[in-house]
Amino acid sequence: MSAGKSEVLQGTLDLMILKTLHALGRQHGFGIARRIEQISEQSLKLNEGTVYTSLLRLQQQGWISSEWGVSENNRKARFYSITKRGQKQLAIETANWETISGIIGRVLRLEGQR
Amino acid sequence: MMSAWLGSVLSRLHGLFGQGRADRELNDEIETHVDLLAERFVSWGMSRTEAVLAARRQFGNATLLRQRHRETRTFSWPATVWQDIRFAVRVLAKRPGITAISVASLALGIGANTAIFTLAKAALFDSLSVPHPEQLRLLAYAQDGRSAIRHSWGDFYTDSQGRTIVASFSWPVYQQLLRKDHSLGELFAFVDLTQFEHLSASIDGHAEVVSAELVSGNFFQGIGVGAALGRPIVPGDDAAPSSGAVAVISDSFWARHFARSPSVIGKTIDVNLTPVTIVGIAPPGFTGASSVQRSQDLFMPLSMQPVIFPQKKGSLLTDRDTWWIQVMGRIQPNTSVEQARASLTVSLDQAIHSTMAVAKDQTIPPLLLLPGGRGWNYAAQELEHPMPVLLALAGLVLLLACVNVANVLLAQSSSRSREISVRMALGAGKLRVARQLLTECLCLSLMGGAGGLLLGFVGRDILPRLFSSSWGPVALQTRFDWRVFAFTLAISVLTGIAFGVGPSWQAAHAGVNQSLKNGSTTTSRRRKGLAGKGLIVVQVALCTLLLISAGLFVKTFAKLTQLDPGFKKTGLLLFTLEPPQQRYPSPKNIEVLHRIEERLATLPGVDSATLSQEALLAQSGSNSDFIPLGRPLDPSRQRYIAFNSVGQSFFKTMGISILNGRQFDNHDTSTSPAVAVINRALAQKEFPGMNPLGSTFRMKEGGVPIEVVGVCADSKYAWIRQEDPPAFFVLYTQQKDLSGGMTFEIRTNGNPRNFVPAIRQVVESTDKDLPLIDIRTQQEQIDAALAPERSFAAVTTGFGLLALLLASIGIYGVMAAAVSRRINEIGVRMALGARANQVLRMVLGEATVLALAGVCFGLLAAFGLTRFLASFLYGLKPTDALTFAASGILLWFVAMVASWSPARRASRIQPVQALRHE
Repeated sequence: MSAGKSEVLQGTLDLMILKTLHALGRQHGFGIARRIEQISEQSLKLNEGTVYTSLLRLQQQGWISSEWGVSENNRKARFYSITKRGQKQLAIETANWETISGIIGRVLRLEGQR
Repeated sequence: MMSAWLGSVLSRLHGLFGQGRADRELNDEIETHVDLLAERFVSWGMSRTEAVLAARRQFGNATLLRQRHRETRTFSWPATVWQDIRFAVRVLAKRPGITAISVASLALGIGANTAIFTLAKAALFDSLSVPHPEQLRLLAYAQDGRSAIRHSWGDFYTDSQGRTIVASFSWPVYQQLLRKDHSLGELFAFVDLTQFEHLSASIDGHAEVVSAELVSGNFFQGIGVGAALGRPIVPGDDAAPSSGAVAVISDSFWARHFARSPSVIGKTIDVNLTPVTIVGIAPPGFTGASSVQRSQDLFMPLSMQPVIFPQKKGSLLTDRDTWWIQVMGRIQPNTSVEQARASLTVSLDQAIHSTMAVAKDQTIPPLLLLPGGRGWNYAAQELEHPMPVLLALAGLVLLLACVNVANVLLAQSSSRSREISVRMALGAGKLRVARQLLTECLCLSLMGGAGGLLLGFVGRDILPRLFSSSWGPVALQTRFDWRVFAFTLAISVLTGIAFGVGPSWQAAHAGVNQSLKNGSTTTSRRRKGLAGKGLIVVQVALCTLLLISAGLFVKTFAKLTQLDPGFKKTGLLLFTLEPPQQRYPSPKNIEVLHRIEERLATLPGVDSATLSQEALLAQSGSNSDFIPLGRPLDPSRQRYIAFNSVGQSFFKTMGISILNGRQFDNHDTSTSPAVAVINRALAQKEFPGMNPLGSTFRMKEGGVPIEVVGVCADSKYAWIRQEDPPAFFVLYTQQKDLSGGMTFEIRTNGNPRNFVPAIRQVVESTDKDLPLIDIRTQQEQIDAALAPERSFAAVTTGFGLLALLLASIGIYGVMAAAVSRRINEIGVRMALGARANQVLRMVLGEATVLALAGVCFGLLAAFGLTRFLASFLYGLKPTDALTFAASGILLWFVAMVASWSPARRASRIQPVQALRHE
């Protein structure tokens, strides 16, 4: 997947995870899922497994990195954190998203005026 | 974002290794996640078990996630394709019966196609074994009635635009062209002598018939081939006419006559009584430039023509009017064919004007540069026409095999659909399931392809043999090479996809629940039953089509074999003698032939012996003008009447009756007045209502008058499909000169083959250097003329039988499956009082309906399609009612036989049995 064009559905989850890691720092998958749940105020129903697919993808792009550690309840867990390249990518993606949502918002308003 | 992409590829490459560890790590992550979720739910007040279940639900399909990860982590296809293949092999091995039937069906279907393709490739695509054959261009021209070129020798053909294409040039014109600079490099010349005469070679005192190509000195250099041993023919060899008594021999000739002994270099053999030194051996596979299929035995310099191939009118090397050699060149880099053609057209025009007198109303024919990579390929032209038909029929057989396999797969898909539903319920993706099924089909088809390749390899010589005469060399050498392999591989893959895509797609898109909920007895019976039955109809239709075409060809062949040729064809031995001009200039050749004729007639067991210029039904004939004397000449008359120079007892030997007058006798000698016997057709044509006896005619303006002394019955002449033509017969002993060979016809009172040693002895005691050419019986001669028809009949019959076999397997399979699905229903019928006979009739009736539907479609298709076979048929219409009806009835009968055993089984079902089955 080339980074220039973002696919909306896949890209959205990727973007949310990237932003979460940017905001909260080092996190494991469970933590990320909780954060998304919390932010979306439970309105985003998510098969939490898909978070891991996203994480693998981001890791392959080199935007996040991972290391093994111990979780709150003393379990072995993999912790993810955002890389330099990931931060750059987040800036690009955020700008992209804002452009697109701006455009879509304007289009939808246009629709309403008719 | 190249680096991101590269990073992804690298990480995937890395992922190829350590799959197991990555799997374990993901499992740990999933476990942790689910545990944490569950703990959270417990803290909200759920019971432990409830919490774990809820956590699992919220996490989603873990199996699918693992698989997605595996796919994303690395290049999934090598690993999963390998998985698919291993699984496919396990599945196929688990049901050996079905696998064997499918593979056998496919092997037969693919094998048929491989065999036909091998032949078609030889006939249509094989090129000369020389470097860059695609660069070779053969000089040719389109001949017409106003052409300045009047005497061209050698093969010609009519192209798709109806033009007569000739590729013969005169030696002086070739010499002129050679001096010009043009874009075909240095032109080289060759001529295949076998189209004109048989050469004889004495090797260690034993006479043999050999084939030879005369080549220019620069030929080997131009065509880019050297000698495997010794040296090739070089420009110094053909420096002066009659010089250069050297020969390069072919690899197969070397093996045949000299057991590959290297000491053969420098050895001298007598070719047409001229001593010739062997200087080199051509590389294996090199066939010369005239044919891809048939190798020449000898290559000699063109300068040897006056001694090897002498002509009465003098050397052809100075003859400006006779066009007889073929000229080839190599297209040079950075030039187009059109450029080369333009420059050569100018050169040819100049060369013709400087070597011949061109009259005002004559034109120079347009020059053509034909692709020369396949030689001056004549034998292949004859096969070009029937090849598409054979390929199409072979394709139908393969289609039938595909339908068969699809049928078999469908028949056991009910058990598969449960398995697939379970796999999908456990998290297998749709695409993955479809791919798995397709892999199984491809495995089947590739196994079938391997079997087909094996069949094609084993049978690679059978088809070319069929197309050849029984005594001569095989007309078409086929090469079993990578192209055959590639073709077989390609059709195997296509076949696998063809019968695999439908079922795979369907299986993958069937809902998970459906087949799990349904019991085995109710598994969407209607639809499956219908699909299988539809396939049966298709199979029967295809089979009908193949049987009808087989029937048409067999009937054509039978009609031609049973034709009365007008002479007695059994008990006749034929062979040809060609007394070489060097030793027997006319009329000495007539004398030696006459001596041999007289001595052969006295052999014990020989009833009579004769000879003729043309052997009957040998697909070549002689024509002459027929000018009746004593009445005005009709200028619009047909100038070409078939004739034959024959021996005195020709009519007695051949069993052709004399209707009127007399046959030749002892009083007709070389010094007595010329006499002729005409056949009834000629008598009716030239002397309607008159008695032809005693009238005279000439064979050309100013020729000697010839008296008609007898009228004989009509008979076939050169071609078996030709009506008995008007013809006349003259005595060979009364001819001024006789060129070429004469064929002896010996009527024997036993097996003609047994007389060969005695006859050989007679000929050798007359002249030990005279080889017996083409020893064959008259029956074999006729068989050779019927080779194409026989091959067609044999091949299509083979296809037809194959089709019947495949169709009966298919019908049996579908009926058996139908019966086992209906055990309950039939049991209920039996319980309610149905008799065994009624059940038997019900099942057979169902089979009859299917067979008849298929036959109807097949007949309809045949009505539309058999017209393409019309030009191959003889004595029957392409919609021959008997053939159509017989094919239909045969198929119905086969359908009955194939469904007999399932029907019997159905009729023996006991209600109790049906209950247990449930």
